[in-house]
Amino acid sequence: MNLERLRSNLRVIGYAFVMTLKQNVIDGFIIFTILIQPLIIALLALWMMDDRAASHAIFIVVGSGLTGLWSSLLFISGNSINVERWIGTLEFMVAMPTPITTIIFGKNLAHVTQSLASMLLSYALAGILFQLDLSIARPGLFLVSLLFTIIAFVAFGLIIAPIFVMNPGVRGWQNAMEFPVYILSGFLFPIALLPGWTTPASYILAPYWAARALHGASSGEATPASILLYLAILIAFSSLYVLISRWLFKVMLHKTRVDATLGLQ
Amino acid sequence: MDRPVIRNLRLFLDGALLSYIALFRWLRPAAYLASKIIMPLNQILFFTLLGMYATGRDNASFYIIGNALQLTAVSGIYGVTMSVGGDRWDGTLPYLFGTPANRAALFLGRAFFHILDGMLGVVLGFFWGIVLLGLDMSGTPLPVLGLIILVTTLSTTGLGLLMGCLSLITRNIMFINNTVYFLLLIFSGANIPLETLPEWMQRFSSILPLTRGIAAARAIIGGQPFADIKPLLLGEMAITFAYASLGYALFRWFEFQAKKRGTLEAI
Repeated sequence: MNLERLRSNLRVIGYAFVMTLKQNVIDGFIIFTILIQPLIIALLALWMMDDRAASHAIFIVVGSGLTGLWSSLLFISGNSINVERWIGTLEFMVAMPTPITTIIFGKNLAHVTQSLASMLLSYALAGILFQLDLSIARPGLFLVSLLFTIIAFVAFGLIIAPIFVMNPGVRGWQNAMEFPVYILSGFLFPIALLPGWTTPASYILAPYWAARALHGASSGEATPASILLYLAILIAFSSLYVLISRWLFKVMLHKTRVDATLGLQ
Repeated sequence: MDRPVIRNLRLFLDGALLSYIALFRWLRPAAYLASKIIMPLNQILFFTLLGMYATGRDNASFYIIGNALQLTAVSGIYGVTMSVGGDRWDGTLPYLFGTPANRAALFLGRAFFHILDGMLGVVLGFFWGIVLLGLDMSGTPLPVLGLIILVTTLSTTGLGLLMGCLSLITRNIMFINNTVYFLLLIFSGANIPLETLPEWMQRFSSILPLTRGIAAARAIIGGQPFADIKPLLLGEMAITFAYASLGYALFRWFEFQAKKRGTLEAI
């Protein structure tokens, strides 16, 4: 890729990022998904923990923030191509010389980045309203973990967006896919509570490793070496997701252009 | 039975069936399965496991019962709201306002099948609780539990009718629906013992549907006699009446305004 092309793609990502953020701030569903729902889950967890809330505060803040990240990925990033179809711009996106993956990458980056607001809001809630100690044991590793979590979630979004657009039947299962990942990834309770046979399912989910890294870094219960291992696994998953998404986008564009059904229906 | 009564009864049942079919016409069986069977199971599992982590395994039944009853809000809030609001989105509201049909039969009919659907959802919730989480209901008088499920479903449906009216005047009804549904997870006592909440929250809980129904279900499964839960059920019925009446009054008010302004729409 030459420098001019790279600069052009970065500009497209930037515009897609800004436009998506602007559109999202007035969307009631998105506001609910990234702000209200994680906040209510954080409140519920804090009240349910009762006496133990003080010692688990940062765990709850990080965990509820992760629920916001996952729900946002599932419902918002998952529909980032579908939305273009609904508003009639998909045809232009497919026909223009700019790669559609570049635009969707910019959109997903905006979705995932703004989802971090759920973690910030939970942090403010626990700190200000409940007056709980929210110190992060390993701030440097926590920030690095957060960065790799964003990358992994954006990469995951690049897989589910073309899957949802090509398979409307799969999209119908969106509602059923939200809580299982909360459960299997150990966002708000350890997976040790689950039967042993579910553990392999947790291991193949990038959100599980993201949760391990973020919880470990924030509470200080994981050693730096363990956190780096979790991040290495997260990077491996992200790379795999990008490879799969390249193939999926290729299939989607082929189907779109060869079948001449730009609506993909 | 005189003819107007038969006519209104037919209107009620036809309207109930058609609005229900219309609501799910775009759904495939898989989507219904995902939204009404798998998602509720996941929700029960998530909050029960969270509760067990927070307070210990011995308290699992508290969360299973609370969240099984809460499932009635899926039909009561989302289903009913979408059935009432569907007339606006599908463009049939002006025709509805123009017809001489009995308004109460039309309005209440929108909720009928969601009541049956909501009850089925709660039964499934208890089924998952027994099979997967070991809920012990061996000493529970099932007819009484059935009555509690019916009364609680009616009360959430009452709230759904009120919110359905709001869907006639707002574009962001799903935002309101989602927020109310999740707030009920706190305020209904499904996941938190109400006595641990601040007093203002307890007072607010007392005017919401579900609160008394969940308390009654926990009491009857815990072995208390029917006489103890009777006041709770009467309170839940009063809440049904209050919310449904308010919803109906709003519906008639919107109709009056629509005709007065000549818009034949609620806004």
